[in-house]
Formats: sequence, structure tokens, C-alpha cells
Amino acid sequence: MNGIILTINGKQVKGKAGSTVLEICEANGINVPTLCHLKGLTDVGACRMCLVEIEKERRPVPACTYPARDGLVVQTSTEKLEKHRRLVLELLFTERNHLCAYCLASGDCELQILGYEYQIDSWRYPYSWPSFPLDSSDKHVMIDHNRCILCGRCVRICSEKVGVHTLDFGYRGWKDRISADLNQPLGEASSCIDCGACFQACPTGAIWAKSSAYRGRPDQCKKMRSVCALCGVGCEIDVLVKNNALIRIDSTELAGDRGVLCYKGRFDQLYESHQGINTPLLRDDSGKLKACSIGNALDEVGEKFGNIVARYGKNSIAGIASSKASNESLKAFKKFMTDIIGNDLIDTIDGDEYRTIIQGATKFRSGAGLNIETTLEEILKADCLLVVGVNPLESQQVAGSYIFRAASQGKANLIVLDVDKNPFGFHASTWLKPTKGKEELAINALTKAVIGKLSASNAVKAKENTTSLGAMNITQANKEAGIDVEDLNNAAAMLAKSKHSVVVYGKDILLRKNPKLITAILRLASKSGKQNPKKPRVISLKPRGNSRGAWNLGLANKKEFSLSGLTKNGVKAVYLLLADDYIDDTKIIDGLKGAKFVVVQASYSSPVTASANVVLPSPTWAERKGSYTSLDGITKSTPKLTQPQNNIKRDEDIIRGISKRIKISDRRS
Amino acid sequence: MAKVKVATFWLEGCAGCHMSFLDLDEAIIDIAKAVEFHRSPITDIKEIEQVDVGIVEGSVGSTEEEDVLKELREHCKILMAWGNCACFGGICGMRSTMDKEDALRRGYIETESTYQGKIPHPPGVPQLLDKVKALNHIVKVDCFVPGCPPAPEAITYALTELLAGRIPVIPIQMMRFD
Repeated sequence: MNGIILTINGKQVKGKAGSTVLEICEANGINVPTLCHLKGLTDVGACRMCLVEIEKERRPVPACTYPARDGLVVQTSTEKLEKHRRLVLELLFTERNHLCAYCLASGDCELQILGYEYQIDSWRYPYSWPSFPLDSSDKHVMIDHNRCILCGRCVRICSEKVGVHTLDFGYRGWKDRISADLNQPLGEASSCIDCGACFQACPTGAIWAKSSAYRGRPDQCKKMRSVCALCGVGCEIDVLVKNNALIRIDSTELAGDRGVLCYKGRFDQLYESHQGINTPLLRDDSGKLKACSIGNALDEVGEKFGNIVARYGKNSIAGIASSKASNESLKAFKKFMTDIIGNDLIDTIDGDEYRTIIQGATKFRSGAGLNIETTLEEILKADCLLVVGVNPLESQQVAGSYIFRAASQGKANLIVLDVDKNPFGFHASTWLKPTKGKEELAINALTKAVIGKLSASNAVKAKENTTSLGAMNITQANKEAGIDVEDLNNAAAMLAKSKHSVVVYGKDILLRKNPKLITAILRLASKSGKQNPKKPRVISLKPRGNSRGAWNLGLANKKEFSLSGLTKNGVKAVYLLLADDYIDDTKIIDGLKGAKFVVVQASYSSPVTASANVVLPSPTWAERKGSYTSLDGITKSTPKLTQPQNNIKRDEDIIRGISKRIKISDRRS
Repeated sequence: MAKVKVATFWLEGCAGCHMSFLDLDEAIIDIAKAVEFHRSPITDIKEIEQVDVGIVEGSVGSTEEEDVLKELREHCKILMAWGNCACFGGICGMRSTMDKEDALRRGYIETESTYQGKIPHPPGVPQLLDKVKALNHIVKVDCFVPGCPPAPEAITYALTELLAGRIPVIPIQMMRFD
């Protein structure tokens, strides 16, 4: 219907109206060289590599910014164009320092590839030999302006996809260079969130990551598609592996909607931050943990578990799993506890958060579960966003980027409701700041204000539910929760008139362990703008990488679960599956003190493994094949990226080993 | 058939290009049959005579190198640049990003192992140029073989083409900037 027909290089090709000439060339497999173009970003025509000749145009035009029209006659590769491109390349090469022999991007550089393609074996123009300073102030990324071709890909990805707009151009003409904030060193630029998108977007060696520098060129590494299991956003990643080590982590579709990564996913995972456990450990008679064979460790666990169940009954062993473990590990763990031990004394480390969400959702609508939540993509479509009690830039940075993106591109009004922080700064239209402990009051007041602002017909529908808000009113919220009335009214007006509002809440709200807060948030969302009253657009940022997966598998207990309470009431042994989680929670460590026998299965040495009787090794995320479920319910799998030391077995194999050895003969009912 | 007269020069470079030339394996036999070497670091002949092909490794960083290159240009029919230093300035070009005096001070005085260093200025010692230059920024160069060092295949290709009477352009798959 919207099709157009162009003639490119003498051939008729079809395209969609509204695309650029370059897009149509790409869609039809016609190669046009580019440098400043990165699919998904706004094209600016900076590098002039994609020049094409179009009939009736006075001079060559950049294909990336030229809107395609029906009937255009385009030439992409004439003698004149190739001469132009060669000239452009030579100018780029001589403008700054583009000597590949001492550049770490050599072998991974788009300028170099084009240099080869155009057989640039010498440069006709005098060199400028610039000596711009090197900016090494940032923890992860370095900027070498001398290698920069000013394509602006970093600038555009920073503003368009990450949403923070830290990078832009500074100075003029000859001295033009990439500058962070108001010409700050990158490490001191307060708006930078360290996500590293600029590094991946850079076509040359101008921006590079300290973590990957000089560790191997992409052609020397094995590239594997995986999924990051750190926070639950579920970013797909390409991992470069060399010599059994992770060299570099890239986003799979850099400029796509789910394209950006965070500093944790991109950089931190390349470093081992904790002491790893590479062998089973057994507490000997002197009370010290000593290395032993896996057979010995499993024998010990099987025997002790068997004896404890035989003596004290099946409800004498409790199991706790970390929601960082893979779905496969968690499934095996649950099966072990329910089928082999035969009880339901099982929970996840973030079980409290699960119960808060579920109880809150059930109170909002009976039968509602985790499925009531919306997906992360909805944030990008939002015209009004409410962020309650969470700093996504810390916990789920990529979700934070979505919010930045939605807010900074002027599409969405951003409202922050938080007692002590506004992570989005001036991007937030309003910051409602209730006193601590009065969040529920503030949320309900906002709900009431929203209903007051709805158009008459909607207000009637909404009225039925207002009774449940009690005598609460806006003045009360002002007095007790310290909410500014004007701010509240502004926020309510934005929510009321919105067509696609999304509410995001997280950590601080969940830590309150008050299901009423969740109910209040759901109710507020259901009254805001055009919503499905049964499934308002709300999403919770969950505590761990595979929380949703663990909760879906039923690992989190529906009833209250207190480790110290259980050990006081007959639980003699505790089995903890931590996988690659590092736990130093005093509540768990104190809870373990009451148990006679503690088995911890973990990748890293932690205060929890220090208090175990038997420590079983567990492969990390990179060392095993597995699947993880994102916080909005999408399950993705990852291959084994590196070989674990000592060929550590998978969690499920170790659990099977225990199951085989356990002998529960005179099981008490 | 008369042998082709070749002279090879080693200016500001590391000899890596000459090493790469010696690494031609069996191809060197055919080439040796067809050429006659004059001045070269390999023959140790010092005089510059009239030759057919002049081959230069290294960039131009001092007054002496500049003089030698100009003299060679007058004595050869075809001038070939070997390696990144000769084609682009290469590794030797690193010092061009700083001031000449700073580079000398760093090299002769400030290096950690130097005790009471001095910048040498006796008469007759060639002086550094302000900036390191690629050959084509001083004289006309007829063909270029980039690479650090150029791959032996690229050198073989270039020499074989020359012997066949053609000016070589290194094919894409043999192009190297590092």
C-alpha cells in the first residue's frame, strides 16, 4: 500500500515510503559503505561515505539522510563516487592519528575495514598530528580523541538509546571533540551511568573499555550468544571468549529497543569479585573446612540428611534457594525437597518480596498472580510514568534507561514518588516526597486526586472503588505525609489525562513487606488514564536475576518463612542453594546458627559458606548451560561460555548425587 | 634478459620489512634469478648507483634520511615504499604527536636509565625533522606495500608485478595496516 519503486544501479527495487535511500539499499542487499550510520539511530550524514548520485540532484547526496521517493533513479557506485569516497577516507585518516599499528582497535575497526576495501595504501594530505589529551578518568571506558572521526555515534546512542545524553560535541572546527557533560572528564560527568554503549558504538579506537583492552581481537575470540542473568531485565548479549575467559560482553542489537546494557552486565562480569569455590569442602573434627572429593562430600550429605530424616521426621530439613540460580538448578532443588525429603519447607532468599507482591495483587483482584504485571517494553510506549520507591539506575539500569529514554525524548511525563531520592533528576516532572512510612497514604491521596481529575464519565466508573480509600483526603496527605498539594495535583493531572501510563516500583517498596502498598499502587494504576482495570500497566523490579523464574517454579513459599523460627521448631538441617549469588545477609547467617547440619552449594566463598558443615561447588552463570526468566516473564537460555575449574558439576547433577545416596528407610510420616 | 637492478634502503624503521622480504620462502629463488642487488642492508654496498627499482623501508625523520631519499629518487626509475613507516609514517610517527624538543629531552635526558644525559648537537650529526614524514610527502612514490611488516605474499606480489612490467596495487586480501 505504501510501497514505492526506485531504480537503483539500473535495477527496479521496491521499498517502503518514509524510508531513506540507504534503508532501501540495505533491504535490497545493495552495499553502500557507511561509517556514521548505526541502524536504529537517527542518521545525520556526518561521514559522507554513503554518498550516492541521484538523477536531477546537482551533486552527490548522502543516502542515509535522503528520503526515498517513488521513481528516484539512484547510482551507488560510479567512478566519481568511488573517487569521492577515497578522498573522504584519506581526509579522515589524515585528520587525526589513524595509524593502526599502535591502535588497540586494529582488527575491530570500521575505518580500517574501509581503508582495506578502498586499497588506501598512502595518504596524499599532510597530517595534523593532533595531541588531544587522553581521558582515562572513567572506571570502565577510555576516550582517545586522537582516534576519533567525529561520526557522533556515541553522542546519538547516549541520548537516543541510553537516554542520559552525557556525550556531545565540544569546541569548534579543527578542535571539535567529544565532550562529557559541560566538558568534564568522563569519570566526573554526573549524568554518565557507565553503561558502555558509547564503547560499543564507536567504529574506531576512540572509545574503548579498559576491561577488554589488549586481551584479544574479536577474530581471535569465540563469539557466543547468551543472556545476562544479573538483574532480570534479561538483556541478550554476545560474549567474546578466549582462553576460557570472558573478554568482552556486547549487546546483540546495539541500537535496538532492548539494545543497551549496564555497567554490571557489560563490565563487572568480566572481573571475578569474590573468591571462587572450586572444590567441595567438608568440616573436619577440628572444626575447619577442608577440601575433599565430590564423592566424599556427597556421601556425607546423603548420610546426614538420611539420618536426620530418619530420626526427626521429614519436616526437619529446610531448603533455601537463591533466585540467581538457573531454572534448571531451581527445578532440581524443588524436586529434591518435595520428592526426596518430602516437605514444603522451601523458600527463596527473596521470598518476602514474593509474598508481598502476591498478597498485594490478590487483594487488588482475587486470583491475580505475577501475570498481572506488564512488560518492560510498555515503558517505552508510555506517555506518563510513575516510579515508586526504587532507583532503577542501581538495581536494573537498563530499565532505568527505558525510563530516561521515554522521559527525555519528551514523550512521557515522569513522576517520582520516593521518600529520599529522585534518580532521574530534572527529567522528572514532579517528585512527590512522602515522609518515611507514609507512602501508602501518599499513593492513596494521589489515587483520589486522579479520580477527581478524571472526566465525568470515567469518574462515575471509578467511584465504586473510592469508598475503599476511606476518609483519606488530600489535605491529610499534605499534613501527615508532607506531600506538597500543588505537586500532588500536578501529578494527578498528568496521570488522569494520560493514555498509556505505566507504574514501576521496586526495592524500597518491597522491603517494606506491606502488601497494602502493592494494592494501593495497583489501584492507582488502574485509575490512571486508559487502563485495563483488571490488568493495569504496573511492573515491579524484582530483587534478583531469576526471581520471576524461581517464583514461577514455586520455589518461594506462600506462607511466612523464617529460618530462625524453623530451627527453633524442629528443623535440624538446612540446605542452601546459592549458585553464583554472594550472600552476607545477617538474618540468614543468624538463622543458620540454630541448625545442626548446614549444606551450602555456592560458586563463591561468603559468610554463609563459612558457617556451613559441607560446602558443595556450583558453576557460575558463565560456566553452565541454563535458562533464566526475566522479570517480565520471558525465558531465555544461555550456553556454557567457559569451562569451570576442576570440571565442577552442574547443580542438578550434584543434587541427583545426593538423592542417590540418601537412604530414608524408616521414614516417619 | 638483463637483470633488473634493485636497491633497497632502510631509513627510519626497524628492519622488519627486510625480514619479511627474507621470509618469502621459495619465491625468493625466482626473484633472485631475475634481479641484481645494488645498495642494500643485505649486500652492505654503500654507494647509490643508477638502478631500475628503489625500495625503501622506514619513514623520514632526519635530514640525512631526507637527503638519501631524494638522491635515490634521482637514481631510480620506480620507487616502492615498503611497510607502514614508508607508506604512512608508522610506528616512527608516534613521536610526531609531540614537540621535537620534547621527544629529544625524553629520549636523551628523562629516560629512567639515563644519568646526566645530554642532547647531542655536534656538527655533522643529522638533525631530526620537526615531524616524521611518509615517503610520498617528500618525493614521488610509484607504489606502496603497506603492512607492519607487509605480509611476505604482498611483497612477492609487488615484486612479481614489477618484474612483469606492471605497477602493483596491493589487492584487498593482502592489505594490512598493522
